[in-house]
Amino acid sequence: MEHDATAPVSDEERKVLARSELHQAIGWIALGLAVFVGSWRMDRLESQNINPYTVPGLLPGLLGIAMMLLGSLLGLRSWRRGALASRTHGFAFDGAAVRRVALIIGLCVTFGVVLVGHGLPFWLAAALFVSVAIVVLQRPQRIAAGETLGLRRLAIAAIIGLGAGGIITLVFQQVFLVRLP
Amino acid sequence: MLSGLADLGHAYLGFLNVTSILYGLGGALLGIIVGCLPGLSATLCIALLTTLTIKLPANDAILILICSYVGTLYGGSRTAILLNIPGTAANAASCADGYALAQRGEAGRAIGIATSGAFMGTLFGVLCLAAFTPTLAEVALSFGAYEFFWLALFGVTMSGTIVGNDPLKGWLMGTLGLFVAQIGQEGLYAYNRFTFDWDQLSGGISLIPALVGAFGFAEVLTTLADPVEKKLIELKDSVLPRFREVVQYWPTVLRSGVIGVLTGLMPGVGEDSGAWMSYAAAKAASKEKELFGKGSIDGLMAAETGDMASIPGHIIPALALGIPGSAPSAVLMAAMIIHGIQPGPMMMIAHPHFVYEVVAMTSLATLSILIFGLFFVKPLLLVLRIKRTVLMPIIFLLCTVGAFASASRLFDIYCMLAIGIGAFFLRRRGYQMAPFVLGLVLGPLLDKSLRRGLVLSDGDIAPFFTRPISMAFAAVTIFTLLLYVPQFKAAVRRVTGGFGKIVRSAFGRHPRSGDAT
Repeated sequence: MEHDATAPVSDEERKVLARSELHQAIGWIALGLAVFVGSWRMDRLESQNINPYTVPGLLPGLLGIAMMLLGSLLGLRSWRRGALASRTHGFAFDGAAVRRVALIIGLCVTFGVVLVGHGLPFWLAAALFVSVAIVVLQRPQRIAAGETLGLRRLAIAAIIGLGAGGIITLVFQQVFLVRLP
Repeated sequence: MLSGLADLGHAYLGFLNVTSILYGLGGALLGIIVGCLPGLSATLCIALLTTLTIKLPANDAILILICSYVGTLYGGSRTAILLNIPGTAANAASCADGYALAQRGEAGRAIGIATSGAFMGTLFGVLCLAAFTPTLAEVALSFGAYEFFWLALFGVTMSGTIVGNDPLKGWLMGTLGLFVAQIGQEGLYAYNRFTFDWDQLSGGISLIPALVGAFGFAEVLTTLADPVEKKLIELKDSVLPRFREVVQYWPTVLRSGVIGVLTGLMPGVGEDSGAWMSYAAAKAASKEKELFGKGSIDGLMAAETGDMASIPGHIIPALALGIPGSAPSAVLMAAMIIHGIQPGPMMMIAHPHFVYEVVAMTSLATLSILIFGLFFVKPLLLVLRIKRTVLMPIIFLLCTVGAFASASRLFDIYCMLAIGIGAFFLRRRGYQMAPFVLGLVLGPLLDKSLRRGLVLSDGDIAPFFTRPISMAFAAVTIFTLLLYVPQFKAAVRRVTGGFGKIVRSAFGRHPRSGDAT
């Protein structure tokens, strides 16, 4: 099997990567199996007398099989690279990085699912999101620089948020006549 | 031949008006700005502009999109030169030599070389676009369900093989894309597949929200997950394009143009392959190999000419076959469909002038980047001084608008979010998005072609392998997949090694000891 060009340097790291790939392989095989079962159980429209070679589940079923095969290959490769010999269960996560990613995803999902499309005008939802995101995302830099969140910084974030929300609404809705959520 | 030239002339004349020129310049300018911003891709730029231009006439909208496509890739070179971060993936090959020149105080010279290389590369690609698209479309008219089945499968396989450095993960992503394309109402009997009685899923996963998620939202997450801001190198020397160097390095320009267009023709391969292959070829042929990676003019010229020449290269199969050459050209194709132009073999019959109009649009884009390369380099660099913590929330705002605007469905925003988060984590584990996108685009074609083919042959799979063009596509696809089997790969190496020996001895070149391995 070919080696990944981005293979880590140490042998233990290589095994950890292989272990992670083994988990991914199990995920792919499970997904492929689910797709295959879903396709197999799909209505074959016999009541409509359709040509049996055109059943709706034909291609999805084949794709499910392909996914299982490729997933098995990935599993086999990770096993040959020492996935089962690894002492750890996966990558060690950097707590700060995980919190940062979770925070960003949380902010974006809150905007996309809660703020938008539920009665709040788009410009206001956008202004709220951008202002809060700027304040929250710049917090680690402020702490590192020993600065506090003053009224001036809050005002700048609010102005940027209102500007972004206002300009995007104006350009899309008024100039290019595109409907906004 | 003559009617083609007349159509081309008409197309050029059609764009010689103030509105079209302003749209073209505006599209290129937006593209350059997006290209300058690390993490924002041409795909995202075209997807967002597709929604912005949805109410414009078809030709104006497509003109803006093509100009932004060319502009984004050109703009990405500046970030590569000044920050050592590729503005788009296609500019990665420009980083080493461009940044080395900038560190020597020759940032302006590097930008000038990038401008001239980009201009020449796109110009060469435009000539190929005009010459080969109508011919390829005519050949494609003889394609049937069997050929299209293999063409779609070939595209996903090639994309999975070439993009990234792990073919297995590429094929898995291609398969996932093909599967996601099956969700929703299928084309033959309007049967709902994998919708779980959820009405919103009946319409399927739309391409634009999926692309905005995979290339926009995922990039926003990737950029913000890394808190380090890089320092920008100051511009001190002239940024004017260096056409004297184009003349000096003309073999590199010509070679990179050809390589760029050829890689562009391969489905789903991406502009970065054009740049890297041109760079590798230039290094192999150069007399100054030791300078590569340390500020080589030859290397920078090759990388920039190669990636820009691949843009028209990607548009050729998108127009002639309906098979996009890259993720940005997939969005471009989707935009054409939204505007009532169906790319593919029938396009030369339904819209015979459109190919020439695209040639004229790409020419205008080429001129636009030259103008911005001549006059607006320094003001445009101001955009690089905006903090990422300010810019990225605004980009996410645009992603939300982009996902929603094409169909006015909140469901599309949720799809964008889900695909973006999925893409972010998959990319961190070495999975590339280009094969997924190509699978998403080609999924309906694969499904339709397979079932139509089986109906025509009454369940016999032999025509999929015995018709001449099908046979060729099948052979290449299966060969590409088999190359992953070590024993098969070793056997191929033995055969090609032996064949190489015969060729070398036939041409009188005697290998030194050890060359045979």
